[in-house]
Amino acid sequence: MSVDIYWRIGTHGDQPSLRRRVASRGEWAPVVPGSLAPGVRDGQRDGYSYVEHMGDVARASELSGFVGGLLPSFPNTDDPWAAAATLARETTTYRFMIAFQPGFLHPVQAARMSASLQRATGGRVVYNVISGGGGPDQLWWGDRVGHDDRYARTSEFLDVLKGVWDGGPFDFDGRFYRVEGAGLPEGLAGQPFPEIYFSGSSRAAIDAAGRHADYYLSWLEPFHALSEKFDQVRANSDRPPKFAVRIDVLARETEEEAWDEIRRGWDNIDPTVLRGATGDSIGWQRSQSFVTGTISGHRDLEVTPNVWGGFHLLRGGPAFGLVGSYEQVAERLDGLIGLGVGAFILAGVPHLEEAYRVGEHVLPLLRGHDLRIGSPLLEGTPS
Amino acid sequence: MARFLITLPSREHGGRGARPDFPGPVTDLRRAYGPFDHLAQVGRAAEIAAFHGALAPFDPEGEESLVVAAGVLRQSRWLRAVAEFHPGIATPVYAAKVSASLQRFSTDRLDWKLAVDLDRGTARAQGDFLEGPDRYARAEEFLTVAKGVWSEEGYTYEGRFYQVLAGGFQPPLAGRLFPRIHLSGTSKEALELSARHADVHVFDPEDDIEAAGLPGVAYGLRIPVLARDDDDEAWEAARRLWRRDGGTAATLPDPDPRTRLWRGFAPSRPARAAGPAGPSGRAVAEAAGSLGTALLGPFDTGAARHSPAEAAGLPGTGGPFRSGLVGAFETVAAGIRDYIDRGVGVFFLEAAPYIEETYRLGERLLPLLAKESAHVR
Repeated sequence: MSVDIYWRIGTHGDQPSLRRRVASRGEWAPVVPGSLAPGVRDGQRDGYSYVEHMGDVARASELSGFVGGLLPSFPNTDDPWAAAATLARETTTYRFMIAFQPGFLHPVQAARMSASLQRATGGRVVYNVISGGGGPDQLWWGDRVGHDDRYARTSEFLDVLKGVWDGGPFDFDGRFYRVEGAGLPEGLAGQPFPEIYFSGSSRAAIDAAGRHADYYLSWLEPFHALSEKFDQVRANSDRPPKFAVRIDVLARETEEEAWDEIRRGWDNIDPTVLRGATGDSIGWQRSQSFVTGTISGHRDLEVTPNVWGGFHLLRGGPAFGLVGSYEQVAERLDGLIGLGVGAFILAGVPHLEEAYRVGEHVLPLLRGHDLRIGSPLLEGTPS
Repeated sequence: MARFLITLPSREHGGRGARPDFPGPVTDLRRAYGPFDHLAQVGRAAEIAAFHGALAPFDPEGEESLVVAAGVLRQSRWLRAVAEFHPGIATPVYAAKVSASLQRFSTDRLDWKLAVDLDRGTARAQGDFLEGPDRYARAEEFLTVAKGVWSEEGYTYEGRFYQVLAGGFQPPLAGRLFPRIHLSGTSKEALELSARHADVHVFDPEDDIEAAGLPGVAYGLRIPVLARDDDDEAWEAARRLWRRDGGTAATLPDPDPRTRLWRGFAPSRPARAAGPAGPSGRAVAEAAGSLGTALLGPFDTGAARHSPAEAAGLPGTGGPFRSGLVGAFETVAAGIRDYIDRGVGVFFLEAAPYIEETYRLGERLLPLLAKESAHVR
């Protein structure tokens, strides 16, 4: 089985490196000399915008061998649908993985937008369906449906989306959605249905994933924990999905060089900011639970070899990622393939340059072999 | 200065229909193509022909308008794109969020047209079961909330249809121009909504524009046009259209001598809702695809415009055929000038085949109207 490897796009700007937590790409931080793609030149708007840089990252990913990219969605980011529709015709094979929360769009509209985008891209739309993660912040979006109900709504949403996809007429009368005689029109109907990457670590998420997911998408965790999570998903599904992991990567020619890069970032952080959770995302709480004990240096967050839990301190986003030489990172990815992972969403800061680095130096080393046997990485894993 | 926009095709491969095969001896290097190849070219044509903008209509039987608008904006530098949609597609927060990004990507060239008054079947097929005045009440809240989160941080709203707590965009999403709001309709509710929220109120050719009374709101007009070198040639093209749409010489309507309007443009309505008597939208589109010079009226927004009797009307009997301007470029320009004199400042011209007609109108019609600014509101 072939493994799909995506590269994330920053929809909220980017840093020039992990060494300093300063965003100078896009205009999410104050625009200073040297800022790239803020859409301002000599103090005037120059007609460009951050989407030009997103397009650069998409093209870099495509050229480096990634199958596509994740366009993440948060209150303070550019919108993935807008970005995909804007960049649709500027790449050839690049798949647009659109992150969205079902509650904000009506499923018939989502189907219409998706089908038109499939026609604009030649079938290169992929879904990253997010149901949780908001907590009280959901009301920022104008959504007051509670955590577990959001998964029920996601299930209905996908039922309706699939129901109209091939043309209908489709009737549905559920708790959250109702349609009568719905269906995509001729021309839009019958496009390839986007693959569904499904995110969420809670029990409700895992139940819903069992019904709809092509890929169950998790943040990186220590491998034994991931393995347990996958087992739980398998146990709760008649039709187990494939698995995907979203991983930040810091790979260098040598292990020392990689850790030195982390150390340089570590030296610039405020050590009192080692904790802090927001929202009701179970995934976030889980990621925090793996780091225990006193933290006196950056290597204290290396919970198993090459799995480092401090990325959130160097840039926004999840905690865990892989740090090591090109060979080590490739081996760890192979180890995950051995656990049943069929797709990766990799990321690195800065997104454009690191896409080339990972595409040129790490992906060619992947063998897809099962490296679990005798591996110290899976200590404590139930066999 | 009056503004002129073209209407983008929403169906049939970007308005061009199916591509015929070449016979064996002809070298055929054509790659697979899709509707967005032609849509992109229509947008480019409008940009090159110096139109002010392009309308991506809400067409339940066609492409999704925000996706179309995003593509057109990306491939132009000056053109404004008006995306038409109904308020049931998304929460107002999310519609605003998608639009804020599109404004950022296009330097504020996205506009909205809200289709508020959908017919019952269309609305229900879109998952929207509101009826009557409630549709306007929701549109009111939709626009209020969208504008609220657009311009205020810490925005809170508790309404019948929408709730937001401490919402609102932060920089750099914040601070872009809110899309110009286009609304339409002649009911009391429609006009009241426009008075509060519209930048442009879009009329149909036979509406009583003078009765609307919307101070501070620009007036727009959505109108099919068929313009040729001289009147004879234009009327010959109109007769061809009429025959193609199932009419006969006996039923060919005459233009209204007072308004110059010809009520013979192709019926526009969702194919699924087509009555048994008239040609379906799909049949019309197929015919248009096969007639290089044909003019195809673009499709209805699903708005409840025609009475049931009208919807089932036969060609030439005052049925669903639409009114527009036919004639020499000078004649059509004079017709448009009449509307300018009545206060209309924004024209959504409808003409097919889209690419060729856009060029033609840009080269021949718009120059005749370049100096029209008197009375434009």
